[in-house]
Amino acid sequence: MSGRLERLAPTLPAETTDEAPGAAVALDRPWLVIVWNDPVNLMSYVVWVFQKLFGYSREKATRLMLQVHHEGKAVVADGTREQAEAHVARLHAHGLWATMERDR
Amino acid sequence: MSDAGGAGGGEPGLVVRLSEPEVELLTRLADQVEALLDGGVPERGGDRVRDRLFPRAYLDPTEEEAEADWQAAVHPDLVGAKREALEVLASTLRDARVRRRGGRREVHLGTAEVDRWVSALNDARLVLGTLLGVTDDDPNPEPGDGPDAPMRAAYLFLTALQAELVEWLAGTVAGPDDRPGEG
Repeated sequence: MSGRLERLAPTLPAETTDEAPGAAVALDRPWLVIVWNDPVNLMSYVVWVFQKLFGYSREKATRLMLQVHHEGKAVVADGTREQAEAHVARLHAHGLWATMERDR
Repeated sequence: MSDAGGAGGGEPGLVVRLSEPEVELLTRLADQVEALLDGGVPERGGDRVRDRLFPRAYLDPTEEEAEADWQAAVHPDLVGAKREALEVLASTLRDARVRRRGGRREVHLGTAEVDRWVSALNDARLVLGTLLGVTDDDPNPEPGDGPDAPMRAAYLFLTALQAELVEWLAGTVAGPDDRPGEG
């Protein structure tokens, strides 16, 4: 996320003022894919969907599921707008309540 | 339920044993949920069941245009995926591989079919759970003896069946030990 861009920043040319300022802002703030707590979806099912869709280990998928359960939501993936839209579509296909928003 | 080779012999699969009323219930639910897929992108706030089957992607009101574009692009695919899962559920229930034994029906499923069953059962649970107003405080509503009793019993049956199938599927996924880079 932003850490990766900070590491890249020193390699950018010094004169970037001709660039559209919006491009840098957009790169700086990835889209977050958020899964919300839902009383219907089984915990085991949510873990399995995270493993299946994102290739996460059972440990990581379980940690994210528990975060959704206890905190009401969790960021399960991030990326460009297009990547986030694709993730949300696949989560909806599996019945999970997912939305996307710009990182703040 | 038990492990079993699929139709091809080598393919992993399992056998689901169901009573006749359970087969009838699943067949009827598959039909009823499929009927809810028609109607396009839901008008928000009009039907809480369809709103739950097809949620918004963007909550930010300044992204209405992106939301409309996204819904227009993916809604047909979402409907197609859900319809396919429900049709696999219905077709395997009436499939030739369904055999009677001890008064119960045996449904032989390969891994891909178990995956479709899990999706179809989940959509049916979303529909019933939304209609029943299932909450985190009361995730497993007792059937009781009110007018909702049959729907509550159906919901609990779907929950138990889906949990068993998910447990079986999870056993087919590589464990964390096989993915040292993850975590």
